[in-house]
Formats: sequence, C-alpha cells, structure tokens
Amino acid sequence: MTMATVVGVRRTRVTAASLRLAFLQFIADPQWLVPSMIAPVIFGLVSYELFRGAGPYFLTYAILGAGMMSMWGQTLYGSGWATGQDREFGTLEPTIQAPAPYLYVVLGRIVWNVVAGLFGGLIVYVVVVVAAGGPPALPNPLAFVLLFLFVMVTLACVGIVFAAAYVYTRFAGFIQNIGEFAFYVGTGCMFPVVLLPFWTNPIALLFPPTWALDALRYVSIPGYVGFGWGWGWDLVGAVATTAIYAGIAGTVFHRVERHVLEVGDLSDY
Amino acid sequence: MATALASARPAEPTSPTFWRTFWANAVLAPRTSLGFMRLDFVLGTVFVIPLTQMVFFAFVVQLGGGGASAIAFTAIGNAVATVSYSSVFTVCQTTDNEKTLGTMEHLLVSPAGRFALYLGRGLIPILISLATVAVGLTYAVLLFGVSIPVATFPGLAVSVVLTAFAMVGFGLLLGGVALYLRTSIILGNIFLFIGLLLSGVNFPLSSLPPALQYLGDALPLTWGLAAIRAAISGSALGPLAVLWAAVAISGIVSIGLSMGLWDFFERRAKATGSIARF
Repeated sequence: MTMATVVGVRRTRVTAASLRLAFLQFIADPQWLVPSMIAPVIFGLVSYELFRGAGPYFLTYAILGAGMMSMWGQTLYGSGWATGQDREFGTLEPTIQAPAPYLYVVLGRIVWNVVAGLFGGLIVYVVVVVAAGGPPALPNPLAFVLLFLFVMVTLACVGIVFAAAYVYTRFAGFIQNIGEFAFYVGTGCMFPVVLLPFWTNPIALLFPPTWALDALRYVSIPGYVGFGWGWGWDLVGAVATTAIYAGIAGTVFHRVERHVLEVGDLSDY
Repeated sequence: MATALASARPAEPTSPTFWRTFWANAVLAPRTSLGFMRLDFVLGTVFVIPLTQMVFFAFVVQLGGGGASAIAFTAIGNAVATVSYSSVFTVCQTTDNEKTLGTMEHLLVSPAGRFALYLGRGLIPILISLATVAVGLTYAVLLFGVSIPVATFPGLAVSVVLTAFAMVGFGLLLGGVALYLRTSIILGNIFLFIGLLLSGVNFPLSSLPPALQYLGDALPLTWGLAAIRAAISGSALGPLAVLWAAVAISGIVSIGLSMGLWDFFERRAKATGSIARF
C-alpha cells in the first residue's frame, strides 16, 4: 500500500466520520434547524403576501427566495459553527494537528449543513405552498431540480471559504448576524440582482450563488429578466467562481495548518 | 464586654437599594449577560441591519409591482421593526447567557430586588432601540422617499420612546419564559421576525385572516408601529393618545408578566434545587 493510498483513504474516512458526527449531533438536538428556518418561512409568507396578484410565477419567486434563504442561513451559520465549535470545545488545535487535513473535517460538516439546508428548504416550500393553496407552475421541473442541486454546491463552496476565514477572525458572529440581510440582498435571494444599482452588480457576482440562482430563475420563471448574458453564461460564471472559491478554501486551510504547526496554537487571532 | 461583643457582631445583611441594583445591572448587564458592549455589534445593530432589512423589503415590494407609497409604507415598518434585534432578541437571550455563564444560581439566591434588576438590564437595550429607530427613520427619509414633517417630531418621539420601552418589556417577558426552556434561541428567533408578518410592518394588518390579526394585536410592535405611523401622518392628539396608551399598557403588562414568571420559576427552582432542570 502506497502512502498516497493511505492518505486518500484517510481523507475519505475523515470526511465520512465528520459527516456522521455532524448528523448524530443534529439528531441529538434537531431544534437547531428551527432558528435558521424561522426567518425564511416568515419572509416567504411576507413575500407571498406582497407578490399576491402580481402574476402566476411570483409564487416561484417567493418559494425559491425563501428556500434559498433557509439554505443560505444554514450554510452561513453552520460554517461559522463548523470552526467555532472546535474553538469553543478546545478541539481546534488537536484536530488541526491530526494527520488528516482539516479541510476534510470541515467538508463533512459542510456536506451535512447542505443536507440540513435542503431539508429546511423543503419545509419552507411546504409552508408557503399550503399558504398559497397550491404549488407553483414549473415549466421545466427536471432542469429546475438539477440547477437547484447545483445552487447547493455553490453554497457549500461559499460555506467552506467562510469556515476557513472564521478560523482567523473574532468577528464570525458579527458577520453571521449583521451580514445576514446583506447576503440576502447581495445575492438576490428574493429578487433579481439587476434590480439593484449597477455598481453593486460586480460585488454580487463575486458570490457563486448569484450566478447559479440567476440561471435557476431563467429556467423556472418564463419572462424572467436577469443578467443579459442568459442562463448559459450564468452557469459558466457559477462554475468558474465555485472553482475559485474551492481553491481559496484549500489555500486558506493549508495556511491554517501551517500556522498551527509553527505557532503551536490558534488562540491568537 | 457584652456591649463590645454586640457591637462586633456583623451587621444584618440588607438588600441593596432599588437604584443601586438598577444601576449596577444597567452598567454590568451589557458587558455580561446581554453581550452587547462590543462596538461592532452595536454599530451593526444600529446602522447596518435597518438599512439592509429596509432595502431587502423595498426591492421585494418593487418586484411585486408596489409603487412609491407601498415602498414608503414598508420602509417605515422595517425601520421600526428592527428594534426587535436589540430589544427582544438580545434581552430574551439574557436567561440563556446566565445559564451558560453559570451565574443563574447566584442570581436566584441574591437579595436584589427583581424589578430593579430587570428594569436595569433593559436600560441599554432601550437606548440602543431608540438609536436604531432613529437611524431607520432617517434612512426612510433619505433613501425611500418618506416624508416626516418637523411638526410631527414631538408625537413621533413619544411614540418611539414608548415603543422601545414596550419592546424591551416584551423581551423581558420572553426571557422569563426562556427560564423554563432548554434554550431561548428558538423563542428569540420566532419573535425577532414574527412581527414582520403579524404587526403590519410590510402590509396592513387587514390583509391577514382575522385569527392572525388577533395574534398581531397581542404584540407590542403592532401598537408601537401604529402609533409611529399615526404620528408621522400628523394624527390628532386624541387618537394618538389612545395608541400611546395601548403601547404603554402592552409594555406594562409584559413587564408584569415577566416578573410573575420569574417569581414562579424562582420558587420552582428553590423547591427543586435546580434551575437547570427542564
């Protein structure tokens, strides 16, 4: 057995073990899904009320937006907690000093956050559909499902970058709480980003979900007016920014591991 | 000799005065159980959250075909609704923080008067709530085309102060309920946002089914927002005074209920020997 194989197996096992632990922690205290769902459910209902009478496809806006907010919240909070819990429990340094790369530990947690976010999105969908009295019209359900899953992947990548950045900052809680609405606005969760002032668009395009969500709306809302380049280039942009985020996350985690080995702890940050 | 011994005996323990308890809690709670004294949180709560929340709902209204008046309605509503962060969510969390920090038991056996204690804790959140609404209404005027005539300022000021007081009272009430709960974060999250739906923040209450309207009437935010909207629209003193009375009553009832809950759970804690049992 070569060293590479050992490392490869270890990484898979690490991610699987981390995912399993995250799942067990969730089962032990599933109420933590609720805080990240309350706001999206309420925002979904408020938006449904505000969109009422605006047209048949506005229900899709409300559901898609609220579902995205649920998953976004789960990713944002979950990722912050992914490193925050290690710091709080005093397990950050031992985990990073372990032979397995820390990135794969966090990856397992992020994957679980994505699954929990999907579950939250489903609950949001059910609540808003019940309030509206029926499901929204979807012209292309298969493309919708595929793109929806892709949006989840882009969210997960953003989550990994946040998790990496949170290792170095005392302001993780601040970013989560204060930045929540800013992310909802900036990534166009509930409305197309093109409605925002033009100067904000380049900032919004730094986030992979902005691209992916625009593509998702193109295929699910007839007559949707998003970025002028259409859903094909949206997908290209989403893939490119997602790859960049994955690269940034890998680099930052590598730096974190070196920092621990050099300094001996992560208390100073 | 007997006299000397008597004079050497330690003085009988006395309860701290109302004002000492009030002031000590007003000064210390933001640094401890409220977790409020971080400048980034205060600035974010006062300046960032109102702006982003107002922008979010203004664009939702615009997408839904709402005109300038609908956007102005939403802007005022969200400018006021953001007080929930400092007055409800944070105050409600104090119970959790006391449990986490391990100070709840010490608090329960202290002789300090509970009314002064909790009123003191509410002082800084009331001030931050006032600042939040003031900044939110400034955004509403500068960015969302809301007109607030100078003549309405006195009525508006009374409405805002009463709303901040009532909302902090409501936060204390939720903190009392949270004594019995495993965590207050769910309660805090529910009441942080429920006003957006039930208090006439984004659309008139009359759009809701009657049952939900009754639920909305039970929230101080509903009355506070109605008073603030009435003040901005230049309502006469008579109708405005009725709304002020409603806001004040909702705040007083909330504080009264919170005192009752704390008393009940304190007795239960002393009977069972543990506040951590739930």
